[in-house]
Amino acid sequence: MTPRAATSETLGLLRPFFDHKGWQPFEFQEATWQAFLDGKSGLLHAPTGVGKTLAVYLGPLSVTLESGKGCRVLWLTPLRALATDTLRALREPLEMLGAGLTAEARTGDTPAALRARLRKSLPHTFVTTPESLSLMLTHADTREKFSNIAAIIVDEWHELLGTKRGIQTELCLARLRAWLPSVPIWGLSATLGNLTEARRTLLGSAFPGSVEVSAALAKEIIIETIIPNEIERFPWAGHLGTRLAPQVVQHLEKADTTLLFTNTRSQTEIWYQELLSLRPDWAGKIAMHHGSLDRTERDIAENGLRDGSLKCVVATSSLDLGVDFSPVDQIIQVGSPKGIARLLQRAGRSGHQPGKPSRILCVPSNALELVEFAAAREAARVRAIETRDPLRKPLDVLVQHLVTCAIGEPFLPDEMKREILSAHAYSDLTNAEWQWALGFISNGGKALAAYPRYQKAHITDGRYTVDDKRLILQHRLSIGTISSDPAVSIRFANGRVLGSVEESFIAGIKTGGHLIFAGRHLTLVRFHQRVATVKPAVKNSKGRIAIWGGARMPLSTELTHAISQIIAEYSQDPNNSSAYPEMLAVAPILELQLRWSCLPSDEALLIEFSRSKEGEHLFLFPFAGRLVHEGLGAMVAYRISQENQQTVQASQNDYGFSLTARRGLALDEAKLRRYLSPENLLEDLIACMNTGELARRNFREIARVSGLILQRPPGRRDVSQREIQSSASLLYEVLQRYDPENELLRQSEREILEKQLEFTRLYRVTQDLTRRPFHLVETEHLTPMAFPLWADRLQSTLMATDAATRLGEMLHELHHAAGLDKPGHLPDPALEVDSPTSKKRQYSLKPARRRHGF
Amino acid sequence: MTPFPDHPEIHLLSEGAALASDCGTLVVADVHLGKSATFRARGLAVPEGDMLRDFARLLTLVVKYKARRLVIAGDFFHAPAGITSELEDALGKFILDLAVPLVLVAGNHDRKLKCLPLEMRAAPSMMLAGGVRVIHDPAEAIADQLHLAGHWHPVVRICDGIQRPMRMPSFVFRSQTLVLPAFGSFTGGTIIAGERGDRVFVALRDSIIELPRSFIR
Repeated sequence: MTPRAATSETLGLLRPFFDHKGWQPFEFQEATWQAFLDGKSGLLHAPTGVGKTLAVYLGPLSVTLESGKGCRVLWLTPLRALATDTLRALREPLEMLGAGLTAEARTGDTPAALRARLRKSLPHTFVTTPESLSLMLTHADTREKFSNIAAIIVDEWHELLGTKRGIQTELCLARLRAWLPSVPIWGLSATLGNLTEARRTLLGSAFPGSVEVSAALAKEIIIETIIPNEIERFPWAGHLGTRLAPQVVQHLEKADTTLLFTNTRSQTEIWYQELLSLRPDWAGKIAMHHGSLDRTERDIAENGLRDGSLKCVVATSSLDLGVDFSPVDQIIQVGSPKGIARLLQRAGRSGHQPGKPSRILCVPSNALELVEFAAAREAARVRAIETRDPLRKPLDVLVQHLVTCAIGEPFLPDEMKREILSAHAYSDLTNAEWQWALGFISNGGKALAAYPRYQKAHITDGRYTVDDKRLILQHRLSIGTISSDPAVSIRFANGRVLGSVEESFIAGIKTGGHLIFAGRHLTLVRFHQRVATVKPAVKNSKGRIAIWGGARMPLSTELTHAISQIIAEYSQDPNNSSAYPEMLAVAPILELQLRWSCLPSDEALLIEFSRSKEGEHLFLFPFAGRLVHEGLGAMVAYRISQENQQTVQASQNDYGFSLTARRGLALDEAKLRRYLSPENLLEDLIACMNTGELARRNFREIARVSGLILQRPPGRRDVSQREIQSSASLLYEVLQRYDPENELLRQSEREILEKQLEFTRLYRVTQDLTRRPFHLVETEHLTPMAFPLWADRLQSTLMATDAATRLGEMLHELHHAAGLDKPGHLPDPALEVDSPTSKKRQYSLKPARRRHGF
Repeated sequence: MTPFPDHPEIHLLSEGAALASDCGTLVVADVHLGKSATFRARGLAVPEGDMLRDFARLLTLVVKYKARRLVIAGDFFHAPAGITSELEDALGKFILDLAVPLVLVAGNHDRKLKCLPLEMRAAPSMMLAGGVRVIHDPAEAIADQLHLAGHWHPVVRICDGIQRPMRMPSFVFRSQTLVLPAFGSFTGGTIIAGERGDRVFVALRDSIIELPRSFIR
């Protein structure tokens, strides 16, 4: 029998299922089955709702229907919430084609009884998360239980890519590849700009010879925008208003069920309130959904979407992926799309069935967002989608995985190293890093002297092993890379939890004060030890809407590029009536910009200069997203102030940044080029951003993942556990002082630069700026592009000053405000002190300075 | 500074200690010796170094303020697993270098040790000359008497509404008890929820200041 014939025979087994459904297999499904039957690994890229689950599942199913016992298909899913839906989708063909075969899921939510059953034996199809899979690797019998696996499938790989959970997945797959070298691994991914890299990252050493299958049937996506009636009176940028809410309500009335996406949790709360105030009769028919709401609150919204009983759910990215809500027939996006892939992902939440178009209605909150929507549509049309950059060898995840492996079965370091290097993220792991990791999990390694009596893994016959029962339990409890933030939980007196807010928000509300959270008006009864007790407020009380910190998402490189292009097109032919409606609407503003200055683009760098009462302003528009601009702004301000001792303030948005100083700013191209130069970039950034302080704050996650901070076991409070609790920032200081070579410190610095400033992107931008021509324009008025930057002179929250300076300033202001000239307490003169250094340098509060002029 | 008009002999020091100047007694709380060793014994890779540093800091203080006695207001030691031979050696050397009497008040952590290293003894509390009592847990305070205590590791949280809130170790005075900040370098802190009548002191550079009421929540 030829392989081809064998294939068609195997696939014939699937016939009954398709006949029953009345379906014909799609070409990409058959291609995926064929590739699988040829023993190939690969990545299937397809939009949601076209049958990609069947494409990757039926191949493995067809070869495992009749032979073999135990677990045959391992299915990894990034979301616990997705596991149930996935299971439903997999069971349908499984139960029809393979009598007696079962599929089960094991996630953090799995009830104990099922978990115990799964510990004994695994079903034919086993659905689990990266964390649960890691946990299984700590059990010695897992290798045996997995020995019959015929296929490993990773769902929603694009969600894992670029995260530590993705790295954890890569490491688990490396382990499975070492155990089962010939088993194909398949990933499922939405559209990405770097699909080949995504496949290489997923497959690691199994990449050569693998294939990529695309579902050619491009799903039709319709992107529409609500155009405001009077563009001149519409804010240019910045304001996140609800001005268009009445029009939104009209659209809600027309549809059965709407999913309304906003960009932040606070916006979700604001829009929910706004919709209710416009349509009070919708109380109970609209709901909200965001990551800080308690599970039960979110379930209400999700169930309402599933059974179609809700008119509208206002949500954040917490509903971006996963669960299939078929009744949803309208998607609305409020505010900037931020990225093309993100907008498409959200659009894809409607029209989940094959063949139906996805439709998204965009609601701008300022004029420039009209351009963003038009640009996103154009970029989506030409498929210029964002890339997701994989992380590079995070050592915290590596040491966690090594301990996981050492618990599961003792390992030889050389063998293990080969296995680790086969994961893409660690393919360039240096020997020094490897030795450090081994030391970290065993006895302190090279820094042995700093770690007397430390031991985690011990070495027997050359193999690393962990067999201390307490350590094993401790480790199992802390597997995973998600670190929950210490937040304040909001609950009623009867114990019902609503969700969580940040401490800084609740700290600003006095007992008896009002707040709006989870769509409810609440009164704060008590705030004690991370629990805020609330009660429903009297009707119509004015309360503060909950706000959450956290970095605001920058516009993606691809979207800023698309914006730049669409503006360039406009500037070539401003009267082109066939242009997008958004561009026609925003034309008066662009025309003003063109008249007073010129239109910005990412070809040339537009720099505007103007004067005001405050002094001089420079506005630079590199079009590189908010985070990069924040870094650039801080750095240029720092470089200028180094040169001429001026205080320079910086502010930024997604299009550019501004610099303000009393004097000393000028449109001097040579100087500006020097300020923007990539030379000494890292050093200057570290100097001006106080990266040490930022890295200390960032250390929490790394300390958690690497096992320096233990997760408190839920419920049970182990007293001996309290002996070994400490805060991440304390650990950071201790490591810095006594083991400064510790790789985790360096990782923390690297991560914070990437997270807070998109360092890689920033570096590319400065490189690129050296080649871009500069357009220098002195303007009389603030232009439409400059105005938002000027109006939005946000204090950069990134600059970290030390506590003493800040407290000194606060006290100073307080005394100043009170008109006191004498500070409250001076150092104690009565005290006899022997130290020569402390005599003169004692800090005293200066009498309030009188401020002149401004 | 001297915060108590009735007890002018009590000075708060920016190093996180208190000095009773009438009897030359230096008081610190919560040193938690052997804490990082406890971590290591439980498989957490935390480096050593703080123990020697804390001994050195104590010696400097005693010399600088010409103290004639050092009193530890509880939790000198962290946990049984942290009492290593290295600790006993360093402690022996410290006591020799100290050259003034060292008095331990027993803390909850000390009590977990079956016996203290070097056959040291810890008293339940200690009375100073001026009628000030040193205890560990503020809950053990007796009415109408000034106490110096530890146990809480008090930290105050100050918000300026612009940047992230600052956390600073602090002295907290509440109902006749002055709670000292934790002295040990490898000790964390607990944010103390302010109560009516609290006085809070923090170190600002080289001196101690009392925080204005509006800064305390």
